[in-house]
Amino acid sequence: MNTVKKVLAVVLAAALLCLTLTACAQGASNDPKDTLIFAQGADPRGLDPALVDDGESSKVIVNIYEGLIKYAKDSTKLEPCLAESWTVSDDGLTYTFKLRQGVKFQDGTDFNADAVKFNIERQMKGNATEDMPYADFVYGYVTKVEAKDANTVVITLKDKCTPFLYNLAMSMAAPMVSPEALKKNNNNVNEAPVGTGPYKFVRWDKEQSIVLTRNDNYWGEKAKTKNVIFRIIKDNSARVVALNNGEVDMIDGIDATVVDEITKAGNTVDQPDGMNINYMAYNTQSSICGKPEVRKALSQAINVPELVKSLYQGYATPADTILPSFVPGFSKDIKQVAYDEAASKAALAQAGVTTVHVITYSNPRPYNPATGKALAEAVQGYLSKVGVTCNIEVFDWTTYKQKVKAGDFDICFYGWTGDNGDPDNFMSLLSDKDPSMNVSRYDNAAYLDLIAKGKAAAEGADRDAIYAQLEQNQVDNSVWLPISHSKLLSAYRPVVQGYYYHVTGNIFLSGMSKTK
Amino acid sequence: MLKYIIKRLLMLIPVLIGVSIIVFVIMRVFSPDPAPIVLGQHATQDKIDAWRVANGLNDPLYIQYLNFIKGIFTGDLGTSYYTKTPVLKEILSRFPATIELAIAAIILASVFGIIIGTISAVKKNTIFDSAGMVTALIGVSMPIFWLGIILIIIFSGTLHILPSGSRGDPLMQPMKVTGFFLLDGILTGNIQSIGDTLAHLILPASALGMYSMAIIARMTRSSMLETLGQDYIRTARAKGVSEGKVIRKHALRNGLIPIVTVIGLQLGSLLGGAVLTETVFSWPGIGSYTVDCILKSDFPVVQGVVMLVAITFVLINLVVDIIYAMVDPRIKYSKKEA
Repeated sequence: MNTVKKVLAVVLAAALLCLTLTACAQGASNDPKDTLIFAQGADPRGLDPALVDDGESSKVIVNIYEGLIKYAKDSTKLEPCLAESWTVSDDGLTYTFKLRQGVKFQDGTDFNADAVKFNIERQMKGNATEDMPYADFVYGYVTKVEAKDANTVVITLKDKCTPFLYNLAMSMAAPMVSPEALKKNNNNVNEAPVGTGPYKFVRWDKEQSIVLTRNDNYWGEKAKTKNVIFRIIKDNSARVVALNNGEVDMIDGIDATVVDEITKAGNTVDQPDGMNINYMAYNTQSSICGKPEVRKALSQAINVPELVKSLYQGYATPADTILPSFVPGFSKDIKQVAYDEAASKAALAQAGVTTVHVITYSNPRPYNPATGKALAEAVQGYLSKVGVTCNIEVFDWTTYKQKVKAGDFDICFYGWTGDNGDPDNFMSLLSDKDPSMNVSRYDNAAYLDLIAKGKAAAEGADRDAIYAQLEQNQVDNSVWLPISHSKLLSAYRPVVQGYYYHVTGNIFLSGMSKTK
Repeated sequence: MLKYIIKRLLMLIPVLIGVSIIVFVIMRVFSPDPAPIVLGQHATQDKIDAWRVANGLNDPLYIQYLNFIKGIFTGDLGTSYYTKTPVLKEILSRFPATIELAIAAIILASVFGIIIGTISAVKKNTIFDSAGMVTALIGVSMPIFWLGIILIIIFSGTLHILPSGSRGDPLMQPMKVTGFFLLDGILTGNIQSIGDTLAHLILPASALGMYSMAIIARMTRSSMLETLGQDYIRTARAKGVSEGKVIRKHALRNGLIPIVTVIGLQLGSLLGGAVLTETVFSWPGIGSYTVDCILKSDFPVVQGVVMLVAITFVLINLVVDIIYAMVDPRIKYSKKEA
C-alpha cells in the first residue's frame, strides 16, 4: 500500500509541476496586441512565387512580396504598386513601366529596372524550369525585357495580350524577388523569401507555423502590427476551436456547417463572393446533348436559385453569368435560360430524351463545397420531374478528371477558380482546345473570334462589351448551366480591426491590428 | 550478445529490401501520375512529358527502383516533387516532433498502464479492478481521432486550460539544439518553453497513448496475477516481507518481462501510427505529412518515410530484445550460453 501511495505522490507532483510550468508559460507570453495569428488548413508548398501554385503559399507570399501592379481592395481592378505608372504602345505590343523610386528589398538591395528584368527573364522560355507552374501563363507572351534606365522597364510581347497586365498583379510568378537572394539560394527562395513587402520572413517551422515581422524599411505605410504568424491547423473543427478559444485571431477554409458555432462564440464570419464559377457542362459532342435545343430544355428544367439556396445554405450566389460580379466585363444584363418546367418537359418529350449519362466528383471543391455528388443528385431530382432519368457515375477527383478528358458523358459538373481577375481567364475556357479545360468541347467560330478580339482589345468599355457578347453567345447556345459563385468564408475575432479577405482568396495583413 | 546484435542487424537487410519493394510498387500502381499535381492546372501535355522525363518516371521500373535503392545507400533519398526540398531534410525536420509525441505518449501509457494493471491485479475482483479494466476497455475501443476531438472540446474549447493543438507557441520556442522541444528547453534553461511544450504535449500524448495504456494495463494485470500466484511470492509473504516490497521487488520485477515487450512494440506502432493524432492536433510530425504526400503522389517522400519508419521499428524491436535480457537475466542470446 505504501508503494501505491508513493507512486501516486510522484504522479501528483509531476502533474503539479506540469501545471505550474504551463501557467508560467501562459503568463509569460508576449503582448498579444503585437501579433496577428492567422490559421490556415495546409502548409504552403513554398515561398518562392515562381515555384508555387497553391492558395496556402499565396496567402503568405502577398505579405512578403509585391508585384509591379496590384488589385484594388474589393475587386480585381488594377492599381499601381512597384510600378507607379505604365503605358501601352498603340500596337499593343510594348509596355513601358515607370518604377517607384527608393524601394529596397528586405535584404537591403535596391529594387530597380535590373531587378525586374532579372525576375522576368528568370521565368521566360529557355530559362524557366519545368516546375515553374505559372511562368508560361504569366510571361508566355514576353519576347524581350529591357532596363531603359534605373527606373524604366520596357517589356515587348509577341502578340497583343491585354490579360498580361492582370497577370502582373497575380501572387504567382509576378511578385518581385530579390535577385541577390535568388543568386545566394541557387535560384530557389522557397525557404528564404526576400521581397519588398510590408512584412519580412523570420522562420518557417514546417507543418507548424510561419513567422513574419514588420519590414521597418517598407516604402509605403508601415504594417500596423509588429508580428504575423501563419499557423497550420489541418483539421477544420480544431481550427474553429482554436479561433473560439482565442488561440488564433483569424481562420479560413471553413464551411457553412460551422458558421453558427463561430458566431455564437462572438466571432465574425466574413463572406465575400469568390473569384470562381461552379457550373454544369453539356458535352456538345454527345449524341443527346449535341443538340442546342436539348441542352436548352434540360437547363429549363432546373430551378437554379432554389437549388443554390438549398444546397449551399446562402453561402453561394446563384450565377447568371460565368464572370463573378467584380471582374471587369461582368454584365448584369445577361440572364440564364429561365426555369420553365412545362416548356422543358414538352421539348424533351419531342426530342425523345428519356435518359442522360451524368458523371460527377465525390469530393468538395472550392467552388462547390457541397460536393459534386450532392449537386448531381439535386439536378437528378429536377430532371426526374420532366421525365428524364439521370444515370449518375461518381468518381474521386483524380479519376474524374480523366473521365472528363475522355468525354464519355452527356453532362458533367466542373468549376473554375480564376487566376488573374481578367475576364479572358474565365471566358477562354470555352475556346480552349484542351478538353480537360473546355469540358463541353464547345467549338463555335463566332465565340473564337470574340475571344481573339477580347484578348487584343485595350482595357475599357469596348473590351467589356466583347465579354458581354461572349456571355450571351454561351447563353444562346446553352453550353453550360452556370450554377453558383461560391463565397469565401473566413472568420475573425472581435479584437481584430481592419479585417478583409480579398476576392482572390488572399489575406493582406499589413492594415490589420488588434485592440488587445 | 554482440553476435546476436550483429545477426539481428544483418536480418535488417532482407526486411528492408521487402519493405522497399512493397512501397515502391504500391506507389507506382495505386497513385495517380504526380506530374499534373506538381505542374498545376495550366500544365500542357508537353510540359507533363518533359517533367516525367526530367524526374526519371519514364525510365523502366527496375531502373527507377535501382536508383531508389542507390539513393538509400548514398544517403540521397531524392527531392520532394512538390516542394523541391531534399527528402532527407523534409523528414528530419519533422521526425523529432513525431518521436517526441510518441515518447510522451508511451511514458503516459506505461506509467498509468502499469499503475492501473498492478492495482487491478492486487485488488482483484474489487471495484478498483472493475474500474481499471473498464477504463482499459474504453481505451482499446475508442477511435483516436474521436478521443482527440473530445479532448480538444473539453480541455480547450470548454475549460480553456490547454491549447487545442500544434507543438508550441511559435514565439516561445526554444533555441534549436536537438529538434526535441522539451529537451531543447531543458538544455537551454528556457522555463517558459518547457511549460509551453508540456501544455501542448498533454492532449495529443494522452489521445495517442490511450490505446497503448489500455493494452499495457491489461497485460500488467494478467502478468501480475500469474506472478502473484507463484510459490516464491507465498514464500516471501511467509517470510514476513512487507506487501509493498512483495509487489514491487518480487511480483512486478518478474511480471515486467512481457510488459517491456508490449511497451516496445507499442512504441514502434505509435511512431508509425500517429497519423490521426497528428492531424487532429496539428502536430507537425511525419505521420500527417506522409498522408499529404501520398495524396500528392510525392513518391520520393513516401518511399523515404516508409523506409525510415521501417528501420526505426526494427531497431526498436532489437533494443526491446536487449532490454528483455537485462530485465530477465535467465535469457541469454549466445548459443554456447544457452
